[in-house]
Amino acid sequence: MSAPMIEIRGLTKRFGAHEVLRGVDLTIAASEVVCLIGPSGSGKSTLLRCVNFLESYDRGEVRIAGRLIGYEEGPDEIRRPMAPRALREMRREIGMVFQHFNLWPHMSALNNVAEPLKRVRGLAHAEANERAAAMLARVGLADKAHAYPARLSGGQQQRVAIARALAMQPRLMLFDEPTSALDPELVGEVLEVMKSLASEGMTMLVVTHEMGFAAHVADRIAFIDDGRILDDGLPRRVLHESGEPRVQQFLQTYHDRNAF
Amino acid sequence: MNPDVLLRYAPALISGFGVTVLCWGVGGALGLILGFVIALLYRLPFAPLRYLLRAVIEAVRGTPFLVQLFLLYAGGPYIGLKLSATAAGMVGLGLYSSAYFAEIFRGGFAAVPVGQIEAAMSVGMSPRDTMLRVTLPAALIAAVPPIVNMLIVLSKETVVLSIITVPELMYQMQTMAAETFTAFDAIFAMAVFYWLLIEATSRLGRRVEARVTAFMAQEASPA
Repeated sequence: MSAPMIEIRGLTKRFGAHEVLRGVDLTIAASEVVCLIGPSGSGKSTLLRCVNFLESYDRGEVRIAGRLIGYEEGPDEIRRPMAPRALREMRREIGMVFQHFNLWPHMSALNNVAEPLKRVRGLAHAEANERAAAMLARVGLADKAHAYPARLSGGQQQRVAIARALAMQPRLMLFDEPTSALDPELVGEVLEVMKSLASEGMTMLVVTHEMGFAAHVADRIAFIDDGRILDDGLPRRVLHESGEPRVQQFLQTYHDRNAF
Repeated sequence: MNPDVLLRYAPALISGFGVTVLCWGVGGALGLILGFVIALLYRLPFAPLRYLLRAVIEAVRGTPFLVQLFLLYAGGPYIGLKLSATAAGMVGLGLYSSAYFAEIFRGGFAAVPVGQIEAAMSVGMSPRDTMLRVTLPAALIAAVPPIVNMLIVLSKETVVLSIITVPELMYQMQTMAAETFTAFDAIFAMAVFYWLLIEATSRLGRRVEARVTAFMAQEASPA
């Protein structure tokens, strides 16, 4: 049995005196889609950012396909920061999509996707552009290749961002509230792309407030509160039969807010 | 208004205008280069260097340009720095503006959203590529409007060079006024020349600005 795609054990992270993550355990197998839900400030975004080491962690470990990220493992117990080059090599394999898209505003949609291919994957100009164009077509934006981000709607920008991450051919994808900054009518187009990605077998860890997506697309839902995973299981069970009062309370507030 | 006097002094005025533009151009270019280097050094993770640069910037911004120019031109020879009036004027304008340009570039770097850099990190881009392809272009674009503004301010600071006898426009004008007792004509002609220079600069600046920010202009599109 090979190592799980993501294996998080005893993960602890503090910002100053505040402990954001207090011993998180979470395992995600290849091709699994896991949605991470929880109240704001619960540590879900921090947890996600630890997976590609955009955020360093204090104790515990995060392994990608068996390999510890961010630290070198030595024969002794002391761990050293990973060499920057090795960290970059690991990050290439981990796609990330941000809440605020984070496209580079001075590059066209096509160049946003092609740039990492040229700089990181070392593809020639023509080849990079070709793959970038294919990726834009994949997210339904073939006709927007030469538009700059400012001329695109939020939903289109997020789809370009997904194309940028996918073009690198990552082994897994992280989504940090990918639809939270979007107008309600633009959420659907982004979720559709994510749904098709899930159906193709991409390993995905998704921080989201989209309970519909979590219920229908995720293989598992993990509920995090105050830096701890309180529940983790099949969507239906977590959403409807969780034994955790905190989970029920959160979902009740969510339900009340969306009832009309 | 006396057309004969103006006509007689036209060659001197035009040559003065040329010297003004030259000093402004060389001084501004020097200031931009130096300011950019200071802003880059400022980003190095070495605190003592930062304190030093901060002290220099504050000293330059905290004293009048006239004083700095005197120090450079009259005080320079005491430390073996002998410059002609025009050279001292150019170097002076360069040093003076470098402090402001350094702050402008620093602001440009600070204006780059951290998310854009994180996006580069998340795809595994090297620090060098991140700097050259993501941070630097965004920082320079953000810096264009304040750079144009500072260049306009600097063009007017060139009048101070007349005090150390650089034969620029102000100097020629004063000569003309003293020799012909036509103060009004002289000042009027000078105003026209400076206005021409500044109008040309700000028009050019607006074009550059429009050019580099065109693709970033937010169209009325749904969020």
